[in-house]
Amino acid sequence: MLKIKIKDIEFNNPIIASSGTFGYGYEVADFVDLSKLGCVITKSITLEPRNGNSSPRIHESESGMINSIGLANVGVDKFCNNEIQKLNNINTKFIISIAGKKYQDYLDVIKKIEATKSNHVGYEVNVSCPNTSSGGMEFGVDAKMTHKLTSELRQETDKLLIVKLSPNVTSIGKIALAAESAGADAISAVNTFVGLSLDYKTGKFVLSNKFGGVSGPAIKPMALAKVYQIFNEVKIPIIGMGGISSFKDVIEFIRAGATMVQVGTLNYRDPAILSTFNNQIESFLKSINIDSISDLIGRHYEN
Amino acid sequence: MRKWSWSYINWRLTTAYPGGWKYALLHPVELIRDLNNYLDWCQKIDYQIYAEEKDA
Repeated sequence: MLKIKIKDIEFNNPIIASSGTFGYGYEVADFVDLSKLGCVITKSITLEPRNGNSSPRIHESESGMINSIGLANVGVDKFCNNEIQKLNNINTKFIISIAGKKYQDYLDVIKKIEATKSNHVGYEVNVSCPNTSSGGMEFGVDAKMTHKLTSELRQETDKLLIVKLSPNVTSIGKIALAAESAGADAISAVNTFVGLSLDYKTGKFVLSNKFGGVSGPAIKPMALAKVYQIFNEVKIPIIGMGGISSFKDVIEFIRAGATMVQVGTLNYRDPAILSTFNNQIESFLKSINIDSISDLIGRHYEN
Repeated sequence: MRKWSWSYINWRLTTAYPGGWKYALLHPVELIRDLNNYLDWCQKIDYQIYAEEKDA
């Protein structure tokens, strides 16, 4: 009932733990039944190790949070040597998120990972991080750059190639189209919205980086609009995300056009909540006499 | 969340602070302030989730 396919990969259900909110993916295995997730996406891996931005870099806000973590990770060499082995043992599929400052960074990272014995089913290309001083979002706000990067990465792998887009653009549909025409297998939408927080008493910026990425329930209606726009532009599957906090939100994203969904900010509350969504979705599907979740994709109507 | 493993706590601290738990130990006031904010935020998020469940 919940099984879903992207390209030739079958996932047990449409729920994915979003990149950057689940560590490398194995840290929560002690208390989260990972087999109940369709997939886990690792934090973004870069060519060099990154400490990320200085503290404070997470700020809880009304109905969500603002973060400027800045792609903290061990770098691709340590990731290949130490983390992949642990990831190979987790009880669900996993996708590796990659990021870089320039084209060659992305290519070097993917080449190094391809050379390992890793069980990952694909890559999510992060071209939309708002929290790095260079690279990252620059690739995702320009259709030509997105096309060039995607087509070069396509030549390096036969695994799933998913491009994660930024909502901080005028026309997200055109950028999704560029990724599709360059050979992407799916689109992840959307990354965080650029935001700012100030201490009203002192006037100081709350985050050390000033700006951060806003996520959580506050962004859900805007994220849904982006998914809907992309759905009307491309034929490849969309992995929707942005403020999902209940099974109803999952259904909304799927009805808007998403094939799968990612849950992120909710993991900062309790990563175990994700594993409760499956039963709720199944009950809902039975209640409306739908046999498969895939029958709901893009099923929306005029009011 | 009833059970926080060491790897989970380590991950959360590494996510929040450059240097992870070492930074947290060296900045206890910041840690307590952030923990307080976090617990307050959890209550707000819980309220939202459970309000949704009631509605379902």
